[in-house]
This record gives sequence, C-alpha cells and structure tokens, in this order.
Amino acid sequence: MSNKSLLVVDDSATMRQLLCMTLTRVDGITQANITEAADGADALDKVKTGNFDLVLTDIRMPRMDGLEFIRKVRSELNDVRLPIIIISTKGAEEDVELGMNLGASGYLSKPVSMARLKELVTNFLG
Amino acid sequence: MQQESAEILSLFKKSEELVDMLRKGRAFTEELMSENERLRYRVVQLEAERMNPSDLLLREVDRLRLENAQMAHKLEFLDSKFQEVEAENKDFAQRYVEVEEQNESLANLYVASHRLHSTLDSAEVIECIKEILLNMIGSEDFGLFVVDDETGELIRSGYEGETAAGDNKARLALGEGLEGVVALGGEPIFGEITGEGPCACVPLKIKDRMVGVIAIYSLLSHKRGLSVLDHKLLELLAGHAASALISSKLYSMADRKLRTIEGFMSLLRVPQGGENV
Repeated sequence: MSNKSLLVVDDSATMRQLLCMTLTRVDGITQANITEAADGADALDKVKTGNFDLVLTDIRMPRMDGLEFIRKVRSELNDVRLPIIIISTKGAEEDVELGMNLGASGYLSKPVSMARLKELVTNFLG
Repeated sequence: MQQESAEILSLFKKSEELVDMLRKGRAFTEELMSENERLRYRVVQLEAERMNPSDLLLREVDRLRLENAQMAHKLEFLDSKFQEVEAENKDFAQRYVEVEEQNESLANLYVASHRLHSTLDSAEVIECIKEILLNMIGSEDFGLFVVDDETGELIRSGYEGETAAGDNKARLALGEGLEGVVALGGEPIFGEITGEGPCACVPLKIKDRMVGVIAIYSLLSHKRGLSVLDHKLLELLAGHAASALISSKLYSMADRKLRTIEGFMSLLRVPQGGENV
C-alpha cells in the first residue's frame, strides 16, 4: 500500500489533520502518500494533475462542494474508476444519497470512526 | 525222557515268550501311562490357554477403561483450559476495542489541542472550537459562551443549531440556566438529550478562573449519546480551549497595547529637521 496515493478534501483544517493522522495509522500509508485540498475546486485541480487511488471528501465546502466535485470527476474528467468516499455531516442524508447517485463509492459520517475509516480505506486500496 | 525234555524246553520257551510278552506289555503300559500323562498335561495346558484370552481381554478392557477415564479427565481439563483461553481471547478483543477507542480519543485530543494552540486569533480559536465540537464530538446544536470580564455575563461567542441561536442564549447571567449554573459552579454536567436543555455543559476554566462554557443541546442524528470517553475528551478539550481563548485574548490585548505604544512613540519621535511634536 506504500505506493498508493490519497487525496483528502475538507475545508476544515482540523478535520483534514484528523483524517491524515488516522490514515497514517493504516499499514503502509505515510504522510507522503496523502495530499490535502481545502475545497472541491482545489481537489479537482489536483485530480487533473495527480494520479490518486482514493479520494475522501467532505460534502459542504465553499467554492465547490463535494457533490459538484464528484459530478465533475465522473462526467467531465470521465473518471469512473477513482474511488471517492464522501464524509457526511449534519442533515446531509439527502446529500449522501445524491452523492452515491453521482458515483461516490462509499460514505462516512461525522464524527468519523477511525475503525470504519481504516476498514473502508483498506477495502478500496486492497 | 526225550519227549519230557522237549516238553520242558517247549514250556520253557513258552514261558520265556510269555515273559517277553509281559515285558513288552509292561513297556507298552508304561508308554501308555507316559502318553496319558503327557496328554493330561496337554489338556491342562490347553484349558489354561483357553482361559487366558478372556483374562487378557478383561485386563485389556480394564486398561482401556482406565485410559478412557484418564482421557476424559484430560478432555475435561483441556475443555476448561479452552474455555479459559476463549474467555481471555474475548477479553483481549474487548480490550483491543477499548484501546482503539482510547487511541481515537487521544488522536482527536492531539489534533484538537494542536489546532487550538496553532493560532492566537480569537475568532480562529472560536472557529476551531466549533469545528472540534462538530467534527469530533458529533454535536449538532451547541453554543460557546465566553465570560465578559466587565459584566461577568456569559456572552455567546460561537454557535451552531437552532437552540443555541435563540435570542435567550445571546447573553446569560451567571447562575441563569444550566449554562450559568455550570459557569458559577465550575463543574461539568452531563445528561440525556431531552430537547429542552443542554445534554452536556462543560466549563472552560484555567485553575479557578472561569473563561466560559460549552453547551451541547443535541447531537448528530446517528450519534445516540455521549460516551464516557466523550465526556473525558470534552473536559480535556475544555481545558485546552480555555487556555487558547485566554492566550488569544491576552495576545490581542498585548498587540493592541503595543500598537498604542508604537503610535504614541511615533508621535514622540523627532522628525528630521523638525521639533518634538
């Protein structure tokens, strides 16, 4: 898993730091494998130029939200294989459903359970 | 005379033959007796041989019974050991889960304290506290109240959700509502989610100095309640949040004073070629 590359998208620096810290506890993943983005637009730029194996994204973000980001990745970039996990927060059940319909591969609820996060990441990265 | 002697000879011969026959009969009898003895011995031997297998079988059965009893005892012992090991295994699994939960809490605490102390801007600190309450604790409706040094009231400095947004929560006197009671008493209060009051109210204080209060009115829908670990995490976070709030307040005060002094100094500075102002 050491050659895998992950993208963490969240407007909250606290949440990004927490996710990165949790991800580095998965075997083979170090900080070097993780790229951070503060919103959907930033993430989209990074997906265009980088080669990621997994994306974790928040839904509600300024500039471009997580749903728009998924839609652009799936339709504009035509990348249907990149696993995208959405992280939902309060009152976002509809957003989760929408995200799954747009092509998200899975979802996590806040506060994120580390065990569940590790399980999902391990499943997607093999 | 000759006839008599011939008869005597004949008789003698016959007697010798008879003696010889008797000897042979004796030898034959002796042989028969010896054979009889041998056969009797053989019969006894055969009878003994016929009896031994059943004895052997009985002995074997007894041995197997003993072995079986020993094996049953061993099986019982192993079964009890297995149950002990299984119980230990379950205990270890339970402990592993607990350790994982504690690790999660420690990681949360580490990130939270790191974020709280990474800025000296009051607004950023308040935003950071809100992020922590939302993302790490799973609060949906909450308020952050800070003690006003001048009036001694609790001023709502950050909030999320309908209850916390209410007008009645903008300013609270010490002792007013659960928030005010906690600010006055300095001890956290945790309860059930009732929808009427806070389910958790934690004071932000540094030693005896009350800085503010965090009040949580409801949690995210999938989070049923606050665990004991959440309580501890909240209390530890409250300590860090209080410290961060005071630091940022002191920094802004110092910065303001510094600017005032700098402004004053610039006024006193002698302009080149000019006079003191």
